[in-house]
This record gives sequence, C-alpha cells and structure tokens, in this order.
Amino acid sequence: MDFSFSQDQITFKESAIEFAEKVLNKGAKDREGKCEFNRDGWEKCAEFGVQGLPVPEEYGGLGLDILTCVATMEGLGYGCKDSGLLFSLNSHIWTCESPLLKFGSEYQKSKYLPGLCNGTLIGGHAMTEPDSGSDAFSMRSKAEKRGDRYIINGTKMFITNAPIADILLVFAVTDPTKGFAGISAFIVEKGFPGFSTGKPLDMMGLKTCPLGEVVLQDCEVPEENRLGKEGAGAAIFNSEMEWERSCLFATHVGAMSRDINDCIRYVKERHQFEKPIAKFQAISHKIADMQVKLELSRLVLYKVAWLKAQGKRAPLESAMAKLFVSESYVQNCLEALQIHGAYGYSTELDFEKNVRDSIAGKIYSGTSEIQKNIIASILGL
Amino acid sequence: MSILENIEKILLTEIAVGLADKKIDPEADLLEQGIIDSLGLMKLIDFLEKTFSIKISDEEIVPENFQCLNSMVNLVQQHL
Ligand SMILES: Cc1cc2nc3c(=O)[nH]c(=O)nc-3n(C[C@H](O)[C@H](O)[C@H](O)COP(=O)(O)OP(=O)(O)OC[C@H]3O[C@@H](n4cnc5c(N)ncnc54)[C@H](O)[C@@H]3O)c2cc1C
Repeated sequence: MDFSFSQDQITFKESAIEFAEKVLNKGAKDREGKCEFNRDGWEKCAEFGVQGLPVPEEYGGLGLDILTCVATMEGLGYGCKDSGLLFSLNSHIWTCESPLLKFGSEYQKSKYLPGLCNGTLIGGHAMTEPDSGSDAFSMRSKAEKRGDRYIINGTKMFITNAPIADILLVFAVTDPTKGFAGISAFIVEKGFPGFSTGKPLDMMGLKTCPLGEVVLQDCEVPEENRLGKEGAGAAIFNSEMEWERSCLFATHVGAMSRDINDCIRYVKERHQFEKPIAKFQAISHKIADMQVKLELSRLVLYKVAWLKAQGKRAPLESAMAKLFVSESYVQNCLEALQIHGAYGYSTELDFEKNVRDSIAGKIYSGTSEIQKNIIASILGL
Repeated sequence: MSILENIEKILLTEIAVGLADKKIDPEADLLEQGIIDSLGLMKLIDFLEKTFSIKISDEEIVPENFQCLNSMVNLVQQHL
C-alpha cells in the first residue's frame, strides 16, 4: 500500500493550483453576481490541458493516468474559487468525453474529442427529465429508427452546460419492451434539426455554470451518432456515473483543503474576549472535525481512483466516495461559515456561496439517498 | 453445478428475490419481464466475473447478452 503521489503528480497538482489562482479567479465575484459563464477561463483551461487530462494524445489530450487527473483536479479545486466553472468542466470531462472515449467508434472519437479537448466544443449529458430523476431509466424520451437516422422526441431537464453545449450525450428509449435495457445513447449536436435548449435555469448555487432544459422535437440524429449498440444506454450511463462519482469530487476535496486553511488563518487572527478565537475549544474542535472529514474524503477518493486506474469496476466504492465527500463538503462549508460569524454570512466573502454550491453535490450524479440504496443493494439488502 | 445452474441460482436467490418460480425457462426474456433491474444486472456481472474468473467489458453489457439464461451462458462460455 502506497499513500503517496509521485513527484509528477505533485507537480501537476501544484501547477494546477498556481494556474487557477492566477488565471481563473479574476472577476469571479462579478460573474457570480451576473450568473455568467467564464468562457475565457474555459479556453485558458483548455490551453492548460484540463479538458484533455484523461484523453489520449492522439485525440488531442494529455493522456494522463487517472490518479494524476485526480491530483490535478484537486489542485484546481484548491485554487479556483469559481465552483460553477469547475462543475462545467467536470460534467464535460466525466459525462461526455469519458463515455465517448470508452464507447465511441473511431469516427466519433476523431470527430469530437479533439474539439472537446482544445476548448472549441463544450459537452454534457442529458438523462434527467421533468418526470424522471432518481428513477432515471423510467424516462419518456423516445428514439425511433427511420432509415439511416433516429428521430428523438422528448424533454430533458437540469442539464449541466445545456445552454452553452455544442454536443450532448442524449439518452432515449429505443425499445420500450425492455425497460432499462431498451435505452440507447446518442451524440446530439446543437445544430441538428429539432434540437433546442431553454434559457439557463436560476438555481441556488453554481451560478456561473449554465444549466437548463433541452427539447428534442423530431430531432434527427444520424445512425453513426448512436454511442455503442442499441440498448447499451444503461451500461454507458452506469459507467459514466461511476467515473463521475470517482473523479468529480476531487475538486471538492481541493476546495475543502483551501477552506480549512482559510479557517485556520482566520481563527488565529480574529480576537474576541482578548484571545484569538482559535483558543476556544468549540472553534478549534470544529476545525479538527473538518480536517478529519477532509482526510477521510481524500482517502476514499484516492482509493476509488486507484481502483479505476486498474481498470476495475467500482460501483460500491464510487457510491461510498460520492456520498461521503459530498456530505462532508456541505458540513465543512457550514462550519467554515459559522467560524467566520457574520463575515461568513456576508456575501463579501465566499463562505455563504460555498454552502449554496456544495449542496448541489448531494443531488447531482445520484442523490445521497440513491447512493445509500446502491450501497445497501450491493450488500445484499 | 453447470454454468446455467450457477446463474439460475444467483438469479433466484439474489437478483429476482420474491419470484415464486423455482426454475427459470432458459429462453424466457428476463429483461422484458422486468426480472433483472439495472442494479441487479450490476450484481449479476460481479457474480459472473468472480465465479467464472472472467472479465466482462462494459461494451458487452447489451441486451442480447443478458436477455435470457441461455444468452448469459453463451457470454460466459465465450470468455472461458
Ligand atoms: C446542479 C445539478 C446539475 C445536474 N446536472 C445534470 C446533468 O448534467 N444531466 C442530467 O441528466 N441530470 C442532471 N441533474 C439532475 C440530477 O441528476 C437529478 O436532480 C437527480 O438525479 C435527482 O432527481 P430529481 O431531482 O428528479 O429528484 P427525485 O428523484 O424526484 O427525488 C426527490 C427526493 O426523493 C428521494 N428519492 C427518490 N427516489 C428514492 C428512493 N428510491 N429511495 C430513497 N429516496 C429516494 C431523492 O433522494 C430526493 O431526496 C443535475 C442536478 C443538479 C442539482
């Protein structure tokens, strides 16, 4: 058992922190107020290599192993205060690029991956519908084969990046008699006839990440844009969720680490009753608890990344990691706010924003309750 | 125990719990009947990989390989 990162991985992490602090934070507060996506930051991330981290060099990526990707994303999470941008990047990488890489034909990979890596294309995935969330496979969207194309009809809801996406991985029913096994996945370009998106939805947090509705009205998708075989949709979705649950939360771990450092600095400086508030055990114990949550989040995240690096399936471990890191992040954000008192509650600082942003992690990629269902089911319950 | 009996046993005891039948028709469409759900399929794949020391790729998780007992037996045999 080896708990250390290699020198290369440490270098990637440190340079990601430096890059994020220098390049991505300028104007973040302003963009948050205007709910504005940082397109320039997106392009700078592509120049740095973020969008292509796990993608092989032949398709324009850096071809890094998964632990190095996790180390780099953790660094970005530490350095970048724009959680909306990080969430957009994560969705793009783990729910669009990653399934394309795994299930895509050579034609699909060479057509889309270079643009997804170099920042010219933005991607995402569209599963959730107005009436199907946790019970994702009960979707109503249908894809009917007509000649050499599919005609998709349906509505997708809460789709990350939808208002700015160039391509979306859309899931639809091709065989209604087969339940979850009758679902297929399609790469849908924004210019395909019958594809449209609504305006960005106003959510509680992640304000700089555009998220919206997708309407597919007799949307024509060429057969060569079906990802994998007919009926492979559920396997593709499960595989991408496992990747997302294993890797997306690296940015949360980075952010937790930065928040603890901010708290430590603050409690040493802030004096009440003629003492630094760090000297009150009620405060120092909060930070001790936050550090324990951070350390355990790191361990569970690295363990699942290590399993994935070995090509193993990790449904149990990825569900546990997703559940633990997302819940810990919310708790740490709440404690960080409390430690900063009214300053923490003020919008001048980022602590209230972090609380709003963190709560989304308990919902997307399968809610906390659904992760517990998965864990219980694998335990035979 | 044959491959078929092994798979039938796990289906009856772990995946399709509550199914009254003691036997499964090897040609019965288990997906159409809703006997296997997506979590059940994950557990079934884990069982097949461990029991028969094989590796099933994500690309092989398509209906034709899991439709009925016989198709699962075929899939396992291809890997042995
Ligand atoms: C920020 C954000 C980004 C998102 N991005 C995307 C995206 O890019 N693509 C996409 O397809 N979707 C996306 N979603 C949607 C997300 O996947 C769903 O919100 C999620 O799966 C939950 O579905 P729901 O909101 O419909 O809640 P519901 O499924 O209606 O659940 C409501 C409540 O009931 C609980 N519940 C439901 N079923 C059970 C059960 N069996 N056992 C116990 N409790 C249960 C849930 O945990 C929840 O607390 C995003 C959501 C958010 C918040």
